[in-house]
Amino acid sequence: MSTAKKPMITDIFVAGAKKGWIIASTSTVPNVLMAFVIIAALQLTGALDLMGTVFAPIMAVFGLPGEAAAVLIGAWMSMGGAVGVAISLFDAGIMTGEHIAIMVPAIYLMGSQVQYLGRILGPIGTEGRYIPVMIVISVINAFASMLLMNIII
Amino acid sequence: MSNSTDRKVSIGAYIALAAAIIFFSGLLQGKGALSVFDFNTLNGSFGTMANAVTESADGINVTTTTMRGAGGFGARDGFMFALTLVPTVMFAMGMIAVFEHYGALEAARKLLTPLLRPLASIPGSTGMALIASLQSTDAGSAMTRQLADDGELTKRETDIFAMFQFTAGATIVNAFSSGAVLYTLTNSAGESVVPTSIAFAVGIMFIFKFVGANLFKLYLNLTEGKAGKKAVETAIEGEKA
Repeated sequence: MSTAKKPMITDIFVAGAKKGWIIASTSTVPNVLMAFVIIAALQLTGALDLMGTVFAPIMAVFGLPGEAAAVLIGAWMSMGGAVGVAISLFDAGIMTGEHIAIMVPAIYLMGSQVQYLGRILGPIGTEGRYIPVMIVISVINAFASMLLMNIII
Repeated sequence: MSNSTDRKVSIGAYIALAAAIIFFSGLLQGKGALSVFDFNTLNGSFGTMANAVTESADGINVTTTTMRGAGGFGARDGFMFALTLVPTVMFAMGMIAVFEHYGALEAARKLLTPLLRPLASIPGSTGMALIASLQSTDAGSAMTRQLADDGELTKRETDIFAMFQFTAGATIVNAFSSGAVLYTLTNSAGESVVPTSIAFAVGIMFIFKFVGANLFKLYLNLTEGKAGKKAVETAIEGEKA
């Protein structure tokens, strides 16, 4: 393998940055745009305020405002979307930097599972009866990580 | 597959891994010339533009904003904001490629492999699949399927390994392509507001991947009995059939 011509470090960086460009343009931008639209819709209808009130008691356990539940719900569908939701809540002054730090591991621990059902468990051939258990464990992981992060920060 | 676990990992690979961790940890942020080895420092900042000019008794006041502008809403605001994330994603992925080239992931595989059996009940021969799964869920799941089909993993080990991959899937690529962006958020004074770092968050994710694998093992123990017993039972059932 190492007998091949050694690429320049700059070429390697550029190849990686190109991959980053593709991820950013095909995933980050559409996901963030979607998240901003969803948050705008939730704000216009008053649903975001409602979520803030309804989820406040649960999210308070983790030192988070009730609206932060929108980040977790978004995460389950798409990690990139959840990042967009977190950022728009930060912009709206609802979440602080500390809140975001608490939530980052959780976003990934229960993130994008809608698509990973098809991309991880499907190809491996995991039995259908295990799938709900694996989802529940991922959600437990996410909540446990927020408890831990809340203590650390 | 099995000989890959014996492949020697050079000292350079460990240095690359250590450099990657330091680079993304924020440890050297604001440490003078050493901050050249810090992701957020090199990621830099956007220039500002004049937003509004007002005249008051104190003279002329100019408020500034970034290229995103101020006061936007909805899809258009989301798009402008998303554009500001693009360089961070490109820079992070470029640096990940460089660290990977110098063997950082090989070193990580070498360090993680001994932890697989005791911490996650997965044999060390899955090291390559584990490293692949941190970068691509598709590569990780395909390699896992291969290991299971080749008989290197029992059904129970395969299920536990699937759980390991399912929580925080493609951890490294996902965390650095979207999560790194969160650590670049600043307040109106331009100070960074998110404590901790992306490297720290990834460390936490790793711990919980092992936690998740063990919770699933516990579930299997509770519902289907300990490892081995089930295999015997199915073997007996197989005999009957």
